[in-house]
Amino acid sequence: MKNKYVFGGIIIAVFLVLMGYLFTQSNIEYVDDFNKVMSTEKTVKATGSWVKEKNYQIDNQNKTFSFFMADDHGKQMKVIYEGAIPNNFESATSVVVTGKYENGYFHAKDILTKCPSKYEEQTTNSSL
Amino acid sequence: MIGSIILTLALAFSIISMIMYFLNYRGYKNTLNYGRIAYHGMAVLVIAASVFLWYAILTHQYQYNYIYSYSNNALRDLGIFQLLSSFWGGQEGSFMLWLLLTAIVGIILQSYSSKRGDLEPRVMAVFTLATSFLLVMVSPWFKNPFEYIWVTPVFVKIEHINSQFLNSNVYPFIQSFFFTDQSSNQGFIQISSDLVSQLKQAGISVNQFIIDGKGLNPQLLNFWMQIHPPILFTGFSMATVPFAFAIAALMKNDYKDWVKQAFPWMLAGMGVLGLGIMLGGYWAYEMLGWGGYWAWDPVENSSLIPWLVGIAAIHTLLVQKKTQAKGGIGKYAKTNLMLCVLTYVFVLYSTFLTRSGVLGDASVHSFVDPGMIIYLFLLLFIGTFTLLGFGMIAFRWKTLNENIKDDESLLSRELGLFTAMIVLIASAIIVLVGTSAPIFGTAVDTYFYNEMHLPLAIIIMFLNGISLLIKWQKSDANELIKKSTYAAVGAVLFTILLVIFGGVREIMMIILSLTTAFSLFVNLDIAIKIVRGNFKMLGAYVAHIGIALFILGVIGSAVYSEEVTVDLVKGKPVTAFGYDLTFTGGYPIENNTKFAFNIDVKKGNSEYQIAPVMYRSEFNNSIVREPAILTLLTKDIYFAPLGYDEGGQTQSQHSHNHISLEKGASTEFEGTKVTFVKFNMAAETMQAMSEGKDFQMGAVLEIEKNGKKTETELLRKQIDGKVEFTSFESKEMNLKIEMENLSAGVIDIALSALDGSETQTTTTQTETNEVLSVNASIKPFVNLVWAGVAIMVIGFFIAMTRRLKESRIVS
Repeated sequence: MKNKYVFGGIIIAVFLVLMGYLFTQSNIEYVDDFNKVMSTEKTVKATGSWVKEKNYQIDNQNKTFSFFMADDHGKQMKVIYEGAIPNNFESATSVVVTGKYENGYFHAKDILTKCPSKYEEQTTNSSL
Repeated sequence: MIGSIILTLALAFSIISMIMYFLNYRGYKNTLNYGRIAYHGMAVLVIAASVFLWYAILTHQYQYNYIYSYSNNALRDLGIFQLLSSFWGGQEGSFMLWLLLTAIVGIILQSYSSKRGDLEPRVMAVFTLATSFLLVMVSPWFKNPFEYIWVTPVFVKIEHINSQFLNSNVYPFIQSFFFTDQSSNQGFIQISSDLVSQLKQAGISVNQFIIDGKGLNPQLLNFWMQIHPPILFTGFSMATVPFAFAIAALMKNDYKDWVKQAFPWMLAGMGVLGLGIMLGGYWAYEMLGWGGYWAWDPVENSSLIPWLVGIAAIHTLLVQKKTQAKGGIGKYAKTNLMLCVLTYVFVLYSTFLTRSGVLGDASVHSFVDPGMIIYLFLLLFIGTFTLLGFGMIAFRWKTLNENIKDDESLLSRELGLFTAMIVLIASAIIVLVGTSAPIFGTAVDTYFYNEMHLPLAIIIMFLNGISLLIKWQKSDANELIKKSTYAAVGAVLFTILLVIFGGVREIMMIILSLTTAFSLFVNLDIAIKIVRGNFKMLGAYVAHIGIALFILGVIGSAVYSEEVTVDLVKGKPVTAFGYDLTFTGGYPIENNTKFAFNIDVKKGNSEYQIAPVMYRSEFNNSIVREPAILTLLTKDIYFAPLGYDEGGQTQSQHSHNHISLEKGASTEFEGTKVTFVKFNMAAETMQAMSEGKDFQMGAVLEIEKNGKKTETELLRKQIDGKVEFTSFESKEMNLKIEMENLSAGVIDIALSALDGSETQTTTTQTETNEVLSVNASIKPFVNLVWAGVAIMVIGFFIAMTRRLKESRIVS
C-alpha cells in the first residue's frame, strides 16, 4: 500500500470536487448585450461604455454613484454603485460592472474602468 | 537607433552563446570559451542598452515612443529615482527590466555552474535559450523600447510641443497635423514620419519639437512601485535557473547532483518572488484605498501561481535530496523535475496572461491589447519551454522509473512533505483555474478563492506543525504525541483567548486559528532550541513561523475588519470604533498639486493626526484619492477619502432657453431661426492655446426672422485665464442670444426674449457645510501580514545559505 498515493489522491480528489462545485457557484459571465443583462437574474459582468452625455450623479446621502451605460447596440441602462466614483472614471473608454439588474437599475458591486493607452481612440478630426 | 542596434547585437550574441554551449555539451571541447565570451558579451550589451535607456529617460529624449508614453519632465521634480523608475512604467520597459535582471542572474549562474563539474555547458545552453526569447521580445520587431515615436503615428498633446514651432505663419505645414478632440477641446499634433521629414527640412529635430511626455499614472508614483517590479522580476529571472538545472540533468540523464545544485537557487528565487508579491500587496493597501492588499486580481494571481509551485517543489526536493543518501536518484525525482519545469512555465504563463491582452476586461492593471503578433510570440515562448521540459521528461521516463522501492510509513516526514506539496499544488490549481477563466469568457467571484483556501490553509497549518515533529522514515506515535503536547496545549489556550477576547466565532476560523497557533508554537519551540545550537539549521522554522504569523494577520485583517462610512462636518467630532474623529480642514501639499484633509483621531489620552489626500490628476483628468493609515501596535485604522464638499453658498439661475448646436445645425425660437454656421479661429489661436495663453475664438451664427437674415459672431474670450462669452441682442427681433460654452464642434447658447415676455428668472440659493466623507475601517493585526512575509523571506535566505554550502560538495 502506497501511503503517498492514498494521501495525495484523497486530497486532490476532494479539492477537485469542491472546486468544481464552487466554480459553478461563483461563476460570473461576461455579457455585452444589455437585453440579456436585464433579463437574467444571475450576477453578471456587464461590459459597455459610459454615456457621457447623461453625466453621472454622486448621491452623498446614500453614498451611491450612478451613471448610464450603453452596450455596442446603443441599449442603455442605469447603473448604481454603492461607493465612491472610481479613480480614472472620467477618462474610461470602457466600463465593466459586476452585479445584478433589479427594479430597473443595475446594482453594481464592482466597477472596473479601462483607460485608453493611446490618444487615437479618443481623438477625432474636427475641421475647425 | 543605437539602442536597437545594441539589442539586436545582444540577440546575436545570445544565440551564438547558446550554440557554442550546446556544441560543447555535444563534445566540441574548444567551443566552451566562445560560449562564455558570447554570454558575457550579451550581458554587457544588455546592460549597455539598459543604461542607454536610463540615459535617454534622464535626458528626456521624447523622440522615443516609450519615453514619451511613460516619462515626463515633472517626474524629475519628484526625485531622480522616480524618474529612473519610468524605465519599467510600460510593457516594453518591463520586458527590458526582466531581460536585464535575467542577464545579470546568468552571470552569477555561469560562475556558479563552472565550479560544479561539467554542469556549465548544459545549464547555460538552456539559460541562453531563455535570454534569446527575451531578446527577441525587445528586438525592433516586437516590443522595442527604442522605437521612434513616428513609426506608428501618435497624437501628442499640444502642451507637449515646443510652442515656438506652432506658429503656423512660420511653419505652415504644422496646420495639417493639428487635430482636436471633440469632447475635451484638447489640441493634438499627430507625429508621423511625414511630419518628421518636414520638420527635418525646417531644421528642427523631434527632440526639440516634443518637449514633454505623458508621464506615469500618479498611482504608480510611489516608493513601493519603484522597488516592486525589480524585485518581482528578479524572482522571475531566478525561476529560470531550476528549470535550466532540471533540463541539464535530463540531458545528462544523471539526477544525483542537480537537486542540491538547484536547491539554493529555488530557495533564493522563491524568497525574492515572495517578497515582490508582498510589496505589490503593500502598494495596493497603501495607495489604492480599497482597504485590502489582495484582491485575487488576475495579475496578482498570475505571479502567485509560479510561487506556489516553486514552494511545493522545495518540499519534495528536500525529500529527494535526503533519500539520495541511500543511493539511487532519490524519491520524487519525476515530481521534482516536473515542478521545476512548471515553475518557469507558470512564470511565462503569468507573462502571457498579463501581456497578451487576453485578460483585457478582467483586470485593472493588465496591459491593453498589444496585437496579434505578440500574442502568438508569447504562445510560442510558453510552448517551447513546456515542450522542452515535458518532452525531455517523457524521453527519460524509463530511467526515471528506476525508483527506490521502500515505502514510507504513515508517520514519516517524507509523507508529510509530500502532502505539503500536494496541498500547495491544489492551491496553485485553484488559482490557475480561477485566473484562466476569463480566457473562456467567464470569471469567478473572489469568494471562490477564499472558500477554497480556507480548508487548504487549515491543512497547510496542521502539516506545518506536525511534519516538523515527525522524523524521517518512521516515527513513534507515542513519542510524537509527547513532543506535540506543549504546542497543542498552547494552541488550544491561544484559541480560547481568541474566542473569548478576540470575538472569533465562526467554526472554520476557530479551527484555522487553532492549527495556525499549533504550527506557530511547534516552530517557535524548535527554533528556540536551534538558536542555542546550530544557527544555520534555522531557515525552515523561521519561514514556517513567518507563514503562521501571516495567516494570523490575514484572519485578523480580512475576516475581522470593520468599516463605516462617515460624513465629517468640519469641527464636529464623530465617533467611530470608539475613536473621536474630527475633520479640522484641508490644506494644499506638494506645490499645490494635491490636497490633504486633516483628521484628528482621539481616544482617551492618545491623539493622532492623519491626512488622506485627494487631487485631480492631469495625467488622466480624474480625481485620485490616497488613503491615510494610522498604524497602531495591534491594528491599523484605515481612512479612505470618498468625497469633499467645500460648502458655502451656491447660486443657480434657471430661465433661459438653453440649447446646444452642432456646426451646421439650427434651432427655432419664437419664430426666429438661428443657425450655427462655422467657427472662426485666427492663426495664432492655436499657438496661444498650447501655451495656455489667452486666446479668442468665435462662432458665426445666422439669424433669420420673417425672411430677414443677419449674421453675427459670438466670441469666447479668455482674459487672464478667465473665460468670457459675448452675447447678441436685437430689439427689432426681440431676441437675446448668450453664448455659454464653446467646445470643438458644438456651442451652447441661451435664447431669450429681450422684453422678458416668455420667461421668468428664478434664483435659488443654498448654503451647505464643509464636509469630508471618508470610509474608515479597522484592520486588526494587519501588521502581522507584512511581518509574517518578511520573516518568511528571511527564513528562505537562511535556508539558502545552508544549502549553498551543501551544493559545493561534489558527490
